[in-house]
Amino acid sequence: METRNKPTVTLVNKGFFNDAGSASSGKGMPALRVVPLELPYETNVMEDIEPAVNAVMDDIIAGLTKPLTEEEASPKQKEAEKPQRIIFRGSLEEVNRFFYQRGWADGLPIIPPTEEAVAEMLTGTDLPPDHLLGKLISRSGKATVEKIAINAVMAGALPTYMPVLIAGVRLLLESEPGFMGFCTFGFSTGSWAPFWIINGPVRNEIYVNNSSGALSPGNIANAAIGRAMGLIIKNIGGVRKGVEDMGVMGNPLKYTMVISENEEESPWEPLQVEYGYQKEDSTVTVSYPNGYLQHWPYNANDEGILCAVLDNIPRAMRCTTIMTPAHARILARAGWSKESIKTFISEYARGSTSHFGNGGEGAAPDGLTKGKAPVPGAEQTPRIADPSFIRIIVAGGPGAFIAHVVGGGATPGKKQTQKLELPANWDKLVARYKNVVPTYARY
Amino acid sequence: MTNKTTSEYEVLSPWSEADTKPLRGIAPRLTDLAGKKIGLLCNPKRAAQPILTVAERLLKERFPTSEISWFRSQSFSVSALEPDRKTEFEDWIKGVDAVVAAVGD
Repeated sequence: METRNKPTVTLVNKGFFNDAGSASSGKGMPALRVVPLELPYETNVMEDIEPAVNAVMDDIIAGLTKPLTEEEASPKQKEAEKPQRIIFRGSLEEVNRFFYQRGWADGLPIIPPTEEAVAEMLTGTDLPPDHLLGKLISRSGKATVEKIAINAVMAGALPTYMPVLIAGVRLLLESEPGFMGFCTFGFSTGSWAPFWIINGPVRNEIYVNNSSGALSPGNIANAAIGRAMGLIIKNIGGVRKGVEDMGVMGNPLKYTMVISENEEESPWEPLQVEYGYQKEDSTVTVSYPNGYLQHWPYNANDEGILCAVLDNIPRAMRCTTIMTPAHARILARAGWSKESIKTFISEYARGSTSHFGNGGEGAAPDGLTKGKAPVPGAEQTPRIADPSFIRIIVAGGPGAFIAHVVGGGATPGKKQTQKLELPANWDKLVARYKNVVPTYARY
Repeated sequence: MTNKTTSEYEVLSPWSEADTKPLRGIAPRLTDLAGKKIGLLCNPKRAAQPILTVAERLLKERFPTSEISWFRSQSFSVSALEPDRKTEFEDWIKGVDAVVAAVGD
């Protein structure tokens, strides 16, 4: 509005005042006039809204009529931020403390990104260190290959993960403006965490776990790829929690959430083929869940598996359901495909409308706000109405559990998968790190 | 315990460079809201519309000759208005003298 020469004042909740400041500076208009409101978050209770708005009416009017200061009319241009390349010298503890105090770490110890360690990391790509992939929101930080490598070293990644990290950064950069990409989910109050699914031959070459405890700690690839992407988002994109990332509760999945699909044991086409790539292509696919749940099937047949899914899958905008190879085979034997399961879920996974309100965002569930119980026998509404927003992948170990990655599913029509580009010496590189696997002693 | 922690590390910065954006000033303010066309812009978050409904009433009380109009975006990110409503938005913004926006957070 301001760029169209319309004086504007923006009302935000007091808790989002700093966020609004970062957003307006990030868009090159630091003097945007913002009026903080003191009221409960996301409320439509008029008893609270009336006095809160009344209290700031003078500020709203002043925001539209008070003459501009010199700085508001013509902000002083800032000098380009050029951090020193070598930033610190010290012991392991001192380096860790320095990075933590600068807000560059994630709470866990980091590996010091020395010149030598970064040079080794850069063997994972043929791109030169100063190659610029793009500028990552929110601060439009320059995502160079070297900066990706530095953050990868900090996270404990191996050079063989660089193709995944570069593809992951490309996915973030190509996220479309609007509601369905990193530009929303990286910052939202919903604490959405990137969930990375790796497909194709690379999965096995870099040992991305898709078997027992695939999403548990214990495998460098699953742990370090997600962690490195988190550090990249923070240190290249400048997305810090409580400042730009306004997740209310936060999300442990933000430390890392990486899995690969068990293509060898799946009876269905793998995800990258579903999305138009070849089986020989290695890809990474992203979505942004804010939760994760697991449940038993009712029986070891298609009815027992899918009825349990209907009862347990939560209401969400989208979802990735993870079936074990054993369950996938049972379902395939009974004639189920990925597509028919998605359609079945969207048609039959339903919940009482009275639990949801009658219009989603913006609508108040009257029965609940008045302290009443939901209406018995109320209309049943699909939990995920559109089957194309559901993803199904095959992973997990022996045993009978089904997992749902809540909120993180397909985004049809939007960028969600990126093909990996491998360096020319890929085979040699894989051979160099092939022994970096845990060997558990029997006892 | 080895003496590894006494080694010295010279480390590279993980913080990216960023070009400075050319900073722009905000639009000149109005001298008075009386008789002016004031636009109210909200996103679909629950609080946005009720906040502006109250603001509308209070503005009308203080400036009875002002004219109020609304633009209700269906996008949570007000800066990413729905592509198919861009013309509608441009027509609306042309017709107002000032805007009060609420994003619901």
